[in-house]
This record gives sequence, structure tokens and C-alpha cells, in this order.
Amino acid sequence: MASERVELIRALAVLVEEPSREQETMAGVLGLRPSPDRIEYTNIFVLQIYPFASVHLGEEGMMGGEARDRVAGFWKAVGRTPPVESDHAASLLGLYAGLRADQMEESDPARALLLEQAADALLWEHLLSWMPAFLAKVREIGGDFYRTWAELLMEVLADEAASIGRQAALPLQLRSTTEVEEGSSIDECVSAILAPVRSGMILTRKDLERGARSSKVGLRVGERRFILKTMLEQDSGSTIGWLRSEAVRWERIHACLAEQFPVISGFWRGRAASTIRLLDELSDVLKHKAS
Amino acid sequence: MNKRDLTNLGERVSAARDATEARGETFYPGPSRVHLAMYPPKERWDNWVELDPKSFPKRVERKYMLVPTTCFNCESACGLLAYIDKDTLEVRKFEGNPEHPGSRGRNCAKGPATINQITDPDRILHPLKRAGGRGEGRWEQVTWDEALDDIAGRIRRAIEEERHDEIMYHVGRPGEDGFTERVLASWGVDGHNSHTNVCSSGARAGYHYWMGIDRPSPDHANAKVIYLISSHLESGHYFNPHAQRVMEAKQNGAKLIVADTRLSNTATHADYWFSPHPGSEAAINLAIAHHLIENDHYDREFVRRWWNWHEYMYEIHPEREASFEEFEVILKELYAGYTFEFAATESGVDAGVLREIAATIATAGKHLSTHNWRSAAAGNLGGWQVSRTLFLLNALLGAVSTPGGVHPNAWNKYVPRPIHTPAHPRHWNEMTWPLEFPLALNEMSFLLPHFLKEGRGKLDVYFTRVYNPVWTNPDGFSWVEALTDHDKVGLHVALTPTWSETAFFADYVLPMGHGSERHDVHSYEQYDGMWIGFRQPVMRAARERDGVRVNDTREVNPGGVWEENEFWMELSWRIDPDGKMGIRKYYESVERPGERLSVDEYYSFMFENSVPGLPERAANEGMTPLEFMRRYGAFEIAKGVGQVFEQGVPREELRGSHEGAHGRVFTSDPAPIGSNIVPVGTPEGDSEGRRPVGVNVDGKVLKGFPTPSGRLEFFSTTLARWGWAEAALPNYLRSHVHPSVMDDDQLVLISTFRLPVQIHTRGGNSKWLDEIAHTNPLWIHPSDARRLGLVATDLVRVETEIGHFVLKPWITEGIRPGVVACSHHMGRWKLGDQGQRQIMPTVSLDRSSERWSMSRTEDVKPYDSPDSDSKRLWWSDVGVHQNLTFPVQPDPISGQHCWHQAVRVTKAQPGDAYGDISVDVEAAHETFKRWLEITRSARQHSPDGTRRPYWLMRPLKPAKDVFLLNEEPKHGV
Repeated sequence: MASERVELIRALAVLVEEPSREQETMAGVLGLRPSPDRIEYTNIFVLQIYPFASVHLGEEGMMGGEARDRVAGFWKAVGRTPPVESDHAASLLGLYAGLRADQMEESDPARALLLEQAADALLWEHLLSWMPAFLAKVREIGGDFYRTWAELLMEVLADEAASIGRQAALPLQLRSTTEVEEGSSIDECVSAILAPVRSGMILTRKDLERGARSSKVGLRVGERRFILKTMLEQDSGSTIGWLRSEAVRWERIHACLAEQFPVISGFWRGRAASTIRLLDELSDVLKHKAS
Repeated sequence: MNKRDLTNLGERVSAARDATEARGETFYPGPSRVHLAMYPPKERWDNWVELDPKSFPKRVERKYMLVPTTCFNCESACGLLAYIDKDTLEVRKFEGNPEHPGSRGRNCAKGPATINQITDPDRILHPLKRAGGRGEGRWEQVTWDEALDDIAGRIRRAIEEERHDEIMYHVGRPGEDGFTERVLASWGVDGHNSHTNVCSSGARAGYHYWMGIDRPSPDHANAKVIYLISSHLESGHYFNPHAQRVMEAKQNGAKLIVADTRLSNTATHADYWFSPHPGSEAAINLAIAHHLIENDHYDREFVRRWWNWHEYMYEIHPEREASFEEFEVILKELYAGYTFEFAATESGVDAGVLREIAATIATAGKHLSTHNWRSAAAGNLGGWQVSRTLFLLNALLGAVSTPGGVHPNAWNKYVPRPIHTPAHPRHWNEMTWPLEFPLALNEMSFLLPHFLKEGRGKLDVYFTRVYNPVWTNPDGFSWVEALTDHDKVGLHVALTPTWSETAFFADYVLPMGHGSERHDVHSYEQYDGMWIGFRQPVMRAARERDGVRVNDTREVNPGGVWEENEFWMELSWRIDPDGKMGIRKYYESVERPGERLSVDEYYSFMFENSVPGLPERAANEGMTPLEFMRRYGAFEIAKGVGQVFEQGVPREELRGSHEGAHGRVFTSDPAPIGSNIVPVGTPEGDSEGRRPVGVNVDGKVLKGFPTPSGRLEFFSTTLARWGWAEAALPNYLRSHVHPSVMDDDQLVLISTFRLPVQIHTRGGNSKWLDEIAHTNPLWIHPSDARRLGLVATDLVRVETEIGHFVLKPWITEGIRPGVVACSHHMGRWKLGDQGQRQIMPTVSLDRSSERWSMSRTEDVKPYDSPDSDSKRLWWSDVGVHQNLTFPVQPDPISGQHCWHQAVRVTKAQPGDAYGDISVDVEAAHETFKRWLEITRSARQHSPDGTRRPYWLMRPLKPAKDVFLLNEEPKHGV
């Protein structure tokens, strides 16, 4: 990797931070227009889609937990002190750029190889494992600036993914999670559906608002689990129907990512497909009960 | 977008970064997770905009100029950034300076609290002269000229009349390394008196006897095992810089072991916490050492190369073969008795726990970081052996100057050579360096009232400088007696930024600046590197950025508040206005002969000539070195210094070399003049006058350590030859509070522990710090409380050997049974109107016969002041001044005051009130005499007719011939 690529990744990482004067400068250098806007930033990254690996890879779909511990463990394994939010997209991209930079500067071939392996592992295990789906969602909900940013970062990650080639196994973060299981309680089901790595889809607060409208149920104010649970309680049939349509939509999104990220998107597509099957089964059960 | 487009984009980012950084600016922004940039980018320090929090919810912008300085509260010297409002030219707040290599932008509560100190409504703003009797509280404002002329005149007369020893400077918080020592040297006065013997000289002695350097520099961040004796995470020496590195190591998997009788905040973060009986710490260390030795876990090669075992064999076991293998046999014999069971008996800590801890330490290898500074070393008779036995563990594992090991501080510290360096004084002050304590590491400062009482001397001009001996030292009423006796102290000048119990008894109270109002250069050992930090009057720097020339710091400080560097320069100039006494030349400008040196010239010279790499770094940014330091406040000189002792001696220094006994190498070649004048031991030359230059290790002449042997001195020939042969090896000396010497109804009182947010008595002028911590109840274990019939609402009376104090109990399992504890900092008082009303109740002092007593006449309560917060004061319980009731207990070797007290605790008696103090000062003097009886005077024990081993460090070292003993001691003892 050339040093220019390292700087490009750092610059893109900076843009997932809250906008300030420096972000405007950075956006200008990258030719991204219009300038990043604090209101839009807050709307996307604070209120809708959280730029943390643990949210997208954790069994609970929440910040922290084992998923973050794994990331923190990686920081320690490469001799770095994990920052408080070690799994934030900016932190991970910054670490990745740092490892590549160290690799380029290392004169000892053995140490350079170790750094290369560390950077490859970080890319595969902690960035590619969740960022394509995350960026696809940002592309969907972002305005001009963040949509373009997400496309650019997706391009860069695809290029990086191509450079390391196919890896021996799926990222551990993906392998160690379970899909939405048949026979789960409603609470477990809701949690699993809202955990991206388990359901294969990213449902934001805005998506749930859309779902409530589509399902013609009332939108109760609360956190996402509460909203979805109350939607199911009001009209499980139509809510499940809406969820199924979302899962189908996400299956297609992952399919579109297959060319750039074949293995990873295959996993996520599989999770979306499993969710569709589960929702179909739930729907059948409901119909059976109704009859 | 294709790959070429991405490359092109990357090139654009790289070019933008290069262009930005070439301007000395920060490309990646703060706060940012991509780089450590949690602070305003430095290129925006001239114009930083923040919303005013007090105007919320309105969005009111404040425009700031950010100016770096160095915190003046504890000794860590952490970097601060003063936020100066550009519209009002007022300092609004202090935050961390990210450019500071030691603190790295982080601060404890005391740093930001500097804003309270500079805006304290009770601070002293003008020079004051006593108008009534000493302690009466009547003052008149005088000009600096009046004060300077008066003080300078008295000093001049004392010097002209050969009464050099009547001039004394007594320091608490040190300012710039060596500055005041040089001032006193320029006057030819051996008048430096530090607080260190009530602080760290015990630990220093333990380290110094080993390595010729008196401070450790533990590399916590890279350690695998960290062993702390005391609460270094919350209040230890270099607390903030070390604490952040300890936590870094923990995050990387290091194990933290904490020995602390109290359940401190540090103990709560430990992997292993044990609560030993006070004074048994050295026994525990030796049990760990025994484990390492017995199981061959020690680094044999390091011990063979670097311990002075050969000298030990030669001196102590001449009958045995002087081989390393034979030494190893003896080493095992020496420590065979220090079993875990023995340590368990002494400490009350289970042997199994100690075994597990020893096993953990054994896994550290060369990455063992250890630290002891005060606590056990400052608490006990023989406490200096705590640090000596602690360093034994490092010396066994070879964890010396390794990553994660302990470094001698002098190799991690940089003291730049200044523009003028006066010669060593030709006087010896026996009131600070008495013959009874020839091996003391620092001045016997806390014995001064007793020496005055004995008639050993008197003081004509006595400076207390940011120091409060009446409150801080043991036996404060003896200080009150000395300071109120005009025959003993002719003129007492208190240089202080804040009112103190000592300043009340001064003749002049001269207001000195806080951390943002004075100049100093600092360097402290906080990791394996070297940096200097610059303390500066921030308003002066701000005005100069705006193009306004400032010639005297008083022009920008509030009221008549001054800084010490300019004060000492001006005072010295006035002592010798025509230069005939040979003093003035040290304060003359080189650029403008005949004129007084300015601080700008003083620091310009230092930064341009004595700090490697700084001129080049400054030039890269288009600045002079002084401009660079005013701009950034700190500069890192070196990183990863490593094992200096393993470095070869340059060939050009070995042309006239000769090898003496045990491989010590001497040379007649002159020593190179270095720009780092950090203090270290100065081992003496050989009989031919050649200087020690290195040590022969396996055929190579290496730099070694600044000890007589050039090696780590497992066996201290100094202790052995000066009458303390039984203490020459790292071993265990039973404390004066060992259970075997205490009565059944006595408990050990630990009185030295600190609260994380306070700093001695200097934090008392911060409303934030006082709000967080303002009282000091007596920690007592529930089992002891039950035995004594105490409940939480009781008052208790604590009886020491010379008096008693009355306070509230805090019944807690956080202290071991048989031990009670009462924190430092609290129990402040004032006599009248002057003083910090937020922390000092008003008291009356009464003396009947030989007994002094103190009782409260008015509690702390809300009050009117320009600061509206003073009306919101909600606390009135501000603790008890326990130190008044402690007799002096000087360790006969290190000279350290042994703080732990054997006390009796009872329910308060009828008539006792909270805060009451009663002390018998004659009993205090008798105790002083009893402790003096266990000393071994140079008069009887000096092996070479000198007062003190010349090689030992001494803050202000007289000329060598002054070390020779007089025919008769001046004071006739």
C-alpha cells in the first residue's frame, strides 16, 4: 500500500467524526460537496446508525459487550492501548492506516510481515465484517455529503479487500453469532431482528417509523426494541409482513455487494434469507392460530 | 471511481497534510479518534473559540488565547493551558497541555483548580509588613522597594560580619531545579533548608545507597508487574503522569500489586492488595527476595556484572574465596531467615498470599516496575530500608533501566546549565547538617526549633518559601515558640502565594505567584525519556504575543504579586549593589554589562545553549528557543534512554586512566562539561587525585553508577564505615511502632496519607478542592471501635506521646485492626481575619506553663466576598490539625522524620470539643533528646575526619575542604 492510500483512509476516517472546521477542510481536499453538516451528522450517526463495530457485530446489536472486547483485544495484541471507543469506525480506520504506515516504514522484513498480517487481520475481522452493510445503509439514508463519503469509502474498502484476497475463514465476529432462532420468545425475537449480524438487516428508528406507517400501527415513543415490540403487539401480522419486506430488501442489498465483497456479503445475505424464513414461519403460525 | 482516481485522491490528501504540517499546524483535527488529538490544534492557540457554558442555552462565543504553563501544585509539573479571554484579558480556565510529554494533556483535579487559586478572594496581593507582635495579625502594606531594601540590608550585614549561618531559606514546594541553591551559593551561604526530611528522604536514602542517585524512575507503562508501596495511583509522587502509565500497563495486561495498610483508591485497582502492619514492608520485600534467590529466579548475569559483591566478599568475608559462586552461597545464607512465614508473622499478611505475590513478581523478569516514595519509608524508624529492599527486587531481576523496569532518575531528567554558576559556599551550617546525622540525605529541617532552643545558633534572616512548617512539620508549637522569639529568629520572611499558619508569624509576607504567574524550568522522571517543562506568567506571554514588551512580571500579575526568579535576582542585586561582595556578577546581564539580568536573557541563554535539539526544533518553526518554550511550554529532549551504566566510557577520557580496587577506573583526563547538571552522587577520586570515570566489567570500561564502587551497592561501604555496619546490606530494621515495643492499649496512627485532590496546605485556597475534600476523620476498624465502645457519632481523643487531639471517628473495614489513620491536608486554622475562610476556622492558642492548647472560636461558614460561591459554602467540618501533637522522631541514619505514632484512642472526655489540641512542648523537647541518643555522630564515627561522606548528594554542597570536621563542634554537644 502506498502512503497516499494511508492518508486517504485517515481522511475518510476523520469524516465519520462530528464535523468541525478541519472536517470541512478535509472534505474540500477530497472534493466532497457540500461541506459536512452537524445536523445531518447528528441525524445519521447519533440518532440512526451508530458507527460502532459492536452495534453491527454484537449478538445484542448494542454498543460494547463481547464484540467491543474482541476489538479492544486486537488493539492490545498489536501493542496499542485501546481507546475508550475502540470499535468506532474512525478508531478502526485510523488503526488500520497506522498499521499499514508502520508496515511501510519497517525495515526488518520479518517485522514488516507481522505488521502486514496484523493489518490484513484487522481489515478482514473488524472492518470488512460489518462496514459494507453499514456503508450501504449510510448511502441509503445520507444526504449528498455522507452518501458520497460512503460510496468513496466503500470503493476504498473494496480495493483493500481485493488486495488481501480471499481469506481462509469467515471473520470470527461473524462465525460466533447465531441467526434469529425458531421458537424464540417475542423479546428474543425482537432483539435478534434488531441485531444486524443476526438478522442481516439494519433497522433504524426512521425505518421503524416507516414500518409503523406501512403496518398502520401506532408508533410508541421509546427505544427501538420497545417500538418494535409494541408494533408486534398491536398488529403482529402486518408488522411481520413489513419486517419480511425489509429482509427481502436487505437480501437484495447484500446481493448487490457480492461483486466487491463476495464472502462477507454472502454471509449477510444468508442471514437476511434466514430471517425471511423465520418471518414466514411466524406468519404461518399466526395464520394457523387465527384459523 | 477507478483505482487511479483513488490514488489521485490519496495524493491530494498527502499533499494537503504535508503543506499543513510544514506550517507547524495540525492536519488531523481534534477531537479525533484517528490521532490523539483531544485538544485544540496548536496552530489555533492564538484564536480559539468556545461557547461560554455559563451563557447556556444562549450561544455566546468566547475568544481565547491559549498559553501554556506548568502546574505549581504538586511536584509532577504537569502541563497546563491557560485559556485567556481575548476581550477581557482574564484567565478563564486551565486545561491540559497536549504538548507536554509527561502529562500528555491530562491533569488531576489540582491542575484546573489553579483558576480558584488565582481568583481566591482571600489571597495575598501586596507585600505586607508586621505592624503588631508576631502572630497578632496586624499588618501594613509596604512597597517592594521597602521590603527588598530592608531584607537586603540585613543579609548584607550578616555576610559582612561573617554570620553566614544566620541566613536560611526553608523550602516546601521546590521551584526551578537548583535556582535558589545557586542564589545561596552566590551569597556564600550554606543556608538551604528543604522540607525533604519530613517527606521523602527516607526513600531517597534507600535508593541512594544502592545507586548513587536518590530517586527512582519506574517505567510503569512497559511493566509486566507493578509493585507499589503506597497509593501512587491517587496521590503518589508524579501522581498524574505515573497513574496514567500504570493504567496503560494494566490495560496491556500488567499485574498491579499494592502494599497499603489502608484500602486506598489505588488498592481498589490492584490485582493484589495487602494490608501489612505498618513497618513490616521491608520484611515482606525480603521474603520476596528470598523466594527469588532460593528458587534461582534472579538474573545471575546482571547480579554478577553490576552488584559490588566482590567488594563485599573482600571486606566482610576475606576468609572465603572471592568468587561469584561463593557469593551466591552467602546470598542464600543471608536471606534464608526471611521466609514467608517470618514475613507473615511481622506483617499480619497470610504467608500464602505473600507466596503468590512473590511468584507473580518472579514472572516479571526485567519488566518489574516498583515505587516507594513516602508512606512506609517516611513512617518508620529504619523506613529507608523499605525502598532499599524494594530496589533489591529490581536489582535481583536485572530490571534496572530496562523497558518496564526502574531507572535511576538522573538519566530521565534534564537540568539545563544556566547562564551563571556560582562556586560552592565555604560555610557549613550545623543547624541543617548537624554532626549527629552524617548520612542524612537532606537537611534536618524539622529539628530546627530544638536546635534553636538548645542554643546551637540563631537566625538573622529566615525565609519560608511556599512552606508551612508550623502546620506541616511535627511539633508545630515548638515552631510557634521559635518563630515568636526575636532572639532566635531576627527576621522571618514568608514568600508565599497564600496565607498559611506559618505566614501568620512572619515579619514580612511577600506574595508569590501561582503556576500561571511565575517562571520556572522543570524536568521530572516520569518515563524513560527526558523533557523540560516551562512554567511562565501566562499574561506576560499573552501580552508579548500581542507585541507588548513586559520587563517585570509584576506588570501583568494581579496586585503586587511577583515571581521568585525576578525577586531573587533583584534581592541579590540589592545585597551587593556595587559588586564589591562578588555577588552581583551572578545577576548581571551578559548582553548589557552593568545591568541586571532579565528573565528573558536568563532563559534565552539556557534554551539556546543547554537544551540539545531545542534550537533546531524551534528554528524549524521559525522561532527562537525561548519563543518556542513560551509557545508550547515543553520540549522532549530524549526518549528511550535505557541503560546508561552499560555504555562504554569514551576513549578520550581513558588516556590517563588507572584501575583501582574492585575494577573502579579513575582518570586524570578532565571531565567533559555537560549541559545537563542533574544532581547525582559524586564519588571521590583516588589518592593520586584522579577522578572516577567508570568501572571495569568483564574487560570493558563502562560508565557504571555514581557510587564509590561504580556498581550497584548491595553492600554499602559508606554505611559500614560510618558506624552502621549492621545496616550496610538491604535488611529489615524493626520500626518504632513494632508490636514488640508498643503497649497493649496502643494503636499505630498513620498520619501521612494524602487525599487525591489536595496538596499539603496549598490546596486550601481552592474552593473546588475544598468542596471535594475538607475533613479528616479517624479511620478505625469496627473491631477496635467495638473494643473501645465507639459509635460513629462519638468524638474520640487520640493521645500521642506529647499531647492529644479530638476528632470524629470513621468506622471502616478499610483499615486493618490495630491501626488507625487520619489524613494529611486537613485541620487548617487561622488566628484572626487573615486566611482562607473556606477551610480555616478561627482558633485561639493558649499557653499555660509548658502546655499549649488550641480551641476553635469560630467555625467555617458562608461569607461575603467578590466570589458569590463563598455564600454557598455548605461545609463546616474541616478536620483536625493532628501534626501539632507529634514529637519529632528523626531516623538516625536517613534523618527522615518517622511519622507513624503509637497512640491511645479513647472516647472524648467531658469538656473535649472537636478540633481541640493540647501539647506539652517540654515533653516534645525531651522526646527530641531521646531520639538524638540513638544517633552516631560523625565526631565519633567519621572514618576520614570529615563531617559527612563527600560523595553523598546534598542539595547545596559546600566546598570540599569545608567537609573537614572542626576541632570542636560550635554548639558544644
